[in-house]
Amino acid sequence: MSDRPIIEIRDLTKFYKGSDEPAIKSISLDIYPNEIFGLLGPNGAGKTTTISILCGLFPPTKGEVTIDGMDIRSSIDRIKHIIGVVPQDLALYPTLSALENLTFFGNMYGMRGILLKDRIHDCLKIFGLEKVAHKQINSYSGGMKRRVNLIAGLLHKPKLLFLDEPTVGIDVQSRIFILDYLNEINKLGTTIIYTSHYMEEAENLCTRVAIVDRGNIIALGKPAELLIKHPEFTNLENIFLHLTGKTLRD
Amino acid sequence: MFKFFSGFRKEALILLRDISGLILVFLMPMVMVIILALVQEFGWNTLTSEPQVQVLFVDLDHDSLGVQIENGFNSSRIFKVIKSVDNVNLTQEKARQLVFEGKYQIAVIIPENVTKRIRNKIQLLVAKTMSALTMPSLDLFKDIFNKDTIEVTLYFDPAVRNSFKNAFISSLKEKNARIESKMVFNTFNNELKRQFPQFRPPDVEYSESVNFNEVYPSGKEHEIIPTSTQHNVPSWAIFAMFFIVIPLTSSIIKEREEGSLIRLLTMPVSYLNLFLAKIGVYLIVCFIQFILMVLVGIYLLPLFGIPAFDPGNQYILLSVMAITSSLAALGYGIMVGTIAKTHQQAAAFGSVSVVILAALGGLWVPTYLMPPIMKHVATFSPLNWAHAGFLDVFLRGSDFMAVSHELVKLFIFFLCTIAIAIVYRKFKPPIGS
Ligand SMILES: Nc1ncnc2c1ncn2[C@@H]1O[C@H](COP(=O)(O)OP(=O)(O)O)[C@@H](O)[C@H]1O
Ligand SMILES: [Mg+2]
Repeated sequence: MSDRPIIEIRDLTKFYKGSDEPAIKSISLDIYPNEIFGLLGPNGAGKTTTISILCGLFPPTKGEVTIDGMDIRSSIDRIKHIIGVVPQDLALYPTLSALENLTFFGNMYGMRGILLKDRIHDCLKIFGLEKVAHKQINSYSGGMKRRVNLIAGLLHKPKLLFLDEPTVGIDVQSRIFILDYLNEINKLGTTIIYTSHYMEEAENLCTRVAIVDRGNIIALGKPAELLIKHPEFTNLENIFLHLTGKTLRD
Repeated sequence: MFKFFSGFRKEALILLRDISGLILVFLMPMVMVIILALVQEFGWNTLTSEPQVQVLFVDLDHDSLGVQIENGFNSSRIFKVIKSVDNVNLTQEKARQLVFEGKYQIAVIIPENVTKRIRNKIQLLVAKTMSALTMPSLDLFKDIFNKDTIEVTLYFDPAVRNSFKNAFISSLKEKNARIESKMVFNTFNNELKRQFPQFRPPDVEYSESVNFNEVYPSGKEHEIIPTSTQHNVPSWAIFAMFFIVIPLTSSIIKEREEGSLIRLLTMPVSYLNLFLAKIGVYLIVCFIQFILMVLVGIYLLPLFGIPAFDPGNQYILLSVMAITSSLAALGYGIMVGTIAKTHQQAAAFGSVSVVILAALGGLWVPTYLMPPIMKHVATFSPLNWAHAGFLDVFLRGSDFMAVSHELVKLFIFFLCTIAIAIVYRKFKPPIGS
């Protein structure tokens, strides 16, 4: 972790139009190569907003971000080549098959031909979708759709992978499978930034986590460090509840 | 480039899998064309022997005028004269009542002695003219026509269109003028014969001396006859092509709502590329749409007894016109789909604005019939440019140079709409604002 950060976030602030509270408030954060970084927080904390800015979907109201040394405002076109994104909501064409969806998205990353075909085949096999590869996404179960959604973001073996709540709403088997897979590609050199509100999963998976609430980072560090810092709690979830309070979020 | 082809393939697959949508895209304009053609053709120019408009006719005159007007109605195939209803001869009051109730649309009342009064008036005119020959100093013509106003009463159902009413009245006036001039001619002859017994009237019936010869200047060797079909098919074809706005906006908004657009925005691919892939696929749809409309005009309309469409022989120029018009339609669709927030907004705005642009563009009512201000406004409608271009090709047989103006305008419109869509998205990303 003595490397140069792969992501440098300085003073990042985002106001959505029509709201007077910022969705994220002056966040500063460094993320290093080969980390699995967990952005944890309750609903509405600002996780999706942060990820969206990092992958160039919209500009921040204020603040600086550099990714792999490139400024997000001026070099977003170059940044797009090295990142992969798995959006929180499904982002697939429902009347196309998994194969057709993945071929199209692979093409958009500049992949083509036999290389792409093999890669898609491998991924579908890994995620147990070979048999349904030719069926329309429409006919898939929620878990299957999520898996295709995930594959679409990592086909091109990005240097940096953003995942927004990839494990929401799927069965335990799929979840464990996905987490194992993320661990594996991380070992092969992919830096992963991932959001979740499942603390337990983050505790096991992440090299470091940031707990965000109402647009602020309220805790940052390795899961073990956080546990040491708060000796009165036995796991991350309790720390999380302690820090964010028990009131309901929308 | 291969990103474009991949996008093209994706759009084509999505479109082809939406069979019902595709059928609707092609079927709706076709059904519309056939219905409009039938309504227009048989609403006015009846080709069948079946009389169309029933005219209540009360003849209290029983002399030349009444008889001739009745004959005139009977010989035109548009009108059928009704003189009795339920076996009871019509009276003026009864006719008025029936029109008032909306059971009939028109009643014509020829008053008593009207022919006699016209004859008297003419005799007076002739007599005075003749005496003026011998006594030129007398002011004999004063008030000659104002002393006796002769009125034929017409009852119209308020639901009758003005254009129809005016056409009806002017044909009656024409009939009357013909009868009167014949009377003048004959009365003069008789009067001359009486005063100059050696006078021999020419042995001819009075007839019009001017025939109206219809000629349609055209650049082509083979002359194109401007039937209603010839006017209508281009209008419908353009209208159908512009209705591509509906499925195109729907495709854009669907892509946004299903989240795929968000994913694409994180990928190294430009809006222009995404738009061009859509345009490529929908351009084919538009072109097929155009060909279908022309085929309907050539082969389907004659089956309904409507004159066939004559597409001429300038297929290359026609294709260029069709493609450029389609591009204008697609650009408009891309712009509306990008700016509209929801499907409902896009569908409502898209369809209404196309109808308005069509009306402004002279697709329903020719621009030359519009008031000056509307004529000016019409020149801003891309449908007007397309229409003008197609009429040039279909009716005047023009060449490339003649329509180049329209082609350039349509293409610039296409470029502008795409530019607006891209710039709009630059400043207003689909999420996060
Ligand atoms: N498009 C938007 N317009 C206005 N407010 C938004 C928009 N998206 C998110 N927000 C608000 O910003 C805050 C952070 O949202 P988000 O980043 O989606 O949270 P999370 O992903 O952590 O659940 C919330 O209060 C949410 O209501
Ligand atoms: Mg979220």
